[in-house]
Amino acid sequence: MELRETTALLDGILREQGIGKYTYTLSESEKQELNIENGGFKLLRTVFGKAGSLKVFTDGRMGSASGNDLTEAGLRKLAGAAKTAAESASEDPCHDIAPDQGKEVFRQGEYKPDLDRFIERIREFLETAAKEYPEVRIMSGIGSFDRWHRIMRNTNGTEFETFAGQYGFSIEICASDGEKTTGLDYTGVSMKDLDTPFMELGDLRRHLEDIRKSISPETLQGKFTGTVVMTPGCAGEFLSMLLSNYIGEGVVINGTSLWLDKVGEKVASEKLTVSLKPYDERIVIGERATANGFRSEDVTLIDRGVLKTHRLSLYGANKTGRPVVKNTGGDLVAEPGDKTLAEIIAGVDRGLLLGGFSGGEPGTNGEFSGVAKNSFLIENGEIRCAVTETMVNGNLEDVFRRIRAVSKELLCDGDTVMPYIAADGIVVSGK
Amino acid sequence: MLQDIIGAKKDLFAEGVQTVLRAHENRTRQVALLKGNLIRNNRSEAAGISARVNNRGTFGFASIAEYTPEAAEKVIRAATENALSLGRHSGRNIALPPSVGTGTVALNAEIVDTDQKTIIDVCRTVDNYIEKKYPDLTSRTVIYTEDSQDRIIYSSDACSGHLVTPRCYIYVMMSAETKDGVPVELFKAFGGFGGLKDYFTDPESLYPGIDELYRKLMDKKEGVYAETGYRTVVLGGMMGGMLAHEAVGHTVEADLVRGGSVAGPNLNRQVASELVNLVDFAHTWQGGTVPLPVYLDDEGTKAEDAPLIRNGILVGYMNDRESAAEYGVRPAGNARAWAFSDEPIIRMRNTCILPGKNTVEELIASVDDGYYLVNSGNGQADLTGEFMFGVTCGYEIKNGKLGRALLDTTVTGVAFDMLKTVDMVSNEVEWSSSGFCGKKQRMAVGMGGPHMRCKIMIGGR
Repeated sequence: MELRETTALLDGILREQGIGKYTYTLSESEKQELNIENGGFKLLRTVFGKAGSLKVFTDGRMGSASGNDLTEAGLRKLAGAAKTAAESASEDPCHDIAPDQGKEVFRQGEYKPDLDRFIERIREFLETAAKEYPEVRIMSGIGSFDRWHRIMRNTNGTEFETFAGQYGFSIEICASDGEKTTGLDYTGVSMKDLDTPFMELGDLRRHLEDIRKSISPETLQGKFTGTVVMTPGCAGEFLSMLLSNYIGEGVVINGTSLWLDKVGEKVASEKLTVSLKPYDERIVIGERATANGFRSEDVTLIDRGVLKTHRLSLYGANKTGRPVVKNTGGDLVAEPGDKTLAEIIAGVDRGLLLGGFSGGEPGTNGEFSGVAKNSFLIENGEIRCAVTETMVNGNLEDVFRRIRAVSKELLCDGDTVMPYIAADGIVVSGK
Repeated sequence: MLQDIIGAKKDLFAEGVQTVLRAHENRTRQVALLKGNLIRNNRSEAAGISARVNNRGTFGFASIAEYTPEAAEKVIRAATENALSLGRHSGRNIALPPSVGTGTVALNAEIVDTDQKTIIDVCRTVDNYIEKKYPDLTSRTVIYTEDSQDRIIYSSDACSGHLVTPRCYIYVMMSAETKDGVPVELFKAFGGFGGLKDYFTDPESLYPGIDELYRKLMDKKEGVYAETGYRTVVLGGMMGGMLAHEAVGHTVEADLVRGGSVAGPNLNRQVASELVNLVDFAHTWQGGTVPLPVYLDDEGTKAEDAPLIRNGILVGYMNDRESAAEYGVRPAGNARAWAFSDEPIIRMRNTCILPGKNTVEELIASVDDGYYLVNSGNGQADLTGEFMFGVTCGYEIKNGKLGRALLDTTVTGVAFDMLKTVDMVSNEVEWSSSGFCGKKQRMAVGMGGPHMRCKIMIGGR
């Protein structure tokens, strides 16, 4: 049964069951995935997927169900499960669906893959890595092509149909000189096409360079308060933690956000501007429809240090009386600064180039502590050595208030666009 | 529960390769109340069939989101073609691992479904109790989550079987504010292997645990930052379990050993104090069932315990069939897949540091100046054994007595260095099983450990 026929069948079943208000998404997908182990091809995986998710509203009560059986029997079961869940719930009119957004078809990325060329690009990357970085071991890698056809509908009249496909390539790496082995590092990219050798995409090459320089790390003694220069990947991790802990839906609804009443106020350095930009051409498959059924929009969250909005879904907006954000994706874009990475490092007396952070999940107070991974000590404006058993401690809000510099260089990995971000006042401690 | 409609398709397995055919269903039931608001109310079921084929060291895998005999035929053909096709590219030519037994493993349990209204009612009862008894909390969340795996496995040269792994939990999360208005939080998970009727028919049975959680949160409200440095600590049993899983367990998964983990050159060497013994249990320990029993893995290997550290000496790895053949050992059933669309990879099951002889009170009394680290929120480890655990609940120890509570912090170390500092081990074990391990796919795992006195790096201010 074609997906469009399936939607008609589901609409009929829902009407038959007397459900007058609902939203659902049905999809078909295909994945072709090549798995690499220790630099060689190991497994070829093909996944044919189907999925349906349904949310129904009966007398102000919401219930949802999901499954992957899109036969008539499966759809009846799906509808029954969602209806039963709704009937079991208490009334809460804040659960709702977006008003009519019209009908639209989105075509994103590459829907028909060139798998032979994809395999050749992967082989090319492995050969280049082996030749130029012989100390580096590609412990595992995944090259995948994913495509999907999706139809989202609701009873307010909205219908979004998406045909999308993208390539992805990710690696886990370590390096060894025959005696000593580094820790793990990982990186990846998403792509619309296969025009560029993978080694030149995202920051794949930098990760190979950095892991090669990390075979003989040093252990710091004592502790100091200094400057931490976050790599784009690490800056993205810290920004995600900040946004979740200070403007995420959960902390706004329960009232524990420390930025509950800070919209319009300065909450970070004026050097920080961060947005969700699903329509940015550097994002491979940006969100087009939100989970609530709105057409997605570009949204600036922090503009030159000023908080512009919380991140509230329709439910969160209804619950708190604040504006809904028509974006539920993760297409994070931070604006570049006015210094090169080299200039930023040259200005650091003592600190770290922080390649990764392995730490406890910060609470809503923003306090964090964790291990500096894939990181290097900076002294007197120069990178001195890789470090191990080194911790960083601080507070998320303080980090972004104390931004010293944002780099001109941007990492574009297909999913996010992120600069290096340097911040002062972070405690770095060794053994 | 799945009905077996795929057994006859075993006749389609190709000659000269190893094939495993698997029908697999995952179910979830979720309810979440945030300050009494029902923010999640969902039931989910996903079923399908997969096949994996080993063609002399090159693997093909295919899955379809359908549970029909026709889908079984399709995935066998597609996985075989993938394995043969990739074999022409890969150049691998590794002898197929030997069979380690055939037969049928009997169904181990049943999945008992619970209607959504009952789940919501239980959550409401718990939430009402917290709201009425503890009105000073700034926020509370009650989450019910139930997931289950239902698998039917047929293998060309290993065991077959029908196995289920149901588990369900209620998470209670509480938030309060310090006198300076800074939020602090704690959570606790109740539940385990089985369904709602096994744990939550009487919600009042949770109240003592909820009361204890509140007391600890009030302690934390008055908490202090840990003093950064290399300190003597008593790790609680939950921390011991995290150590067993994250810091050691991952480094002794054979695929990571092949990738260069620190365990590779340390086999049969002293990697820990003689007091440390570590086992990845399959299904039974001390005559009882472990938190998440595994009787048959997704390659059709009958599950057995995998001893990892004995009296401080690293004695083994966790393997799939291929790595076991490479290392010349018998596989113990560690090849596991989470969903029908996932290929089996080497995973832990119930990884536990065994108990010692001391009491918890003796451990705490033995520390003049240090910390008692009770519970962890998350953890990660590296190939080198360098690990990190977030500590969500802990206390100072001064002159052998517990002092002020700690605010959230993190501990780190290198596993095989840190384990050599273990000089006291308590005589009981605490298990946990509510979390997921992430390694390409998610996986439900159990972990356990005793209290241990050791030295560790602690973060703070």
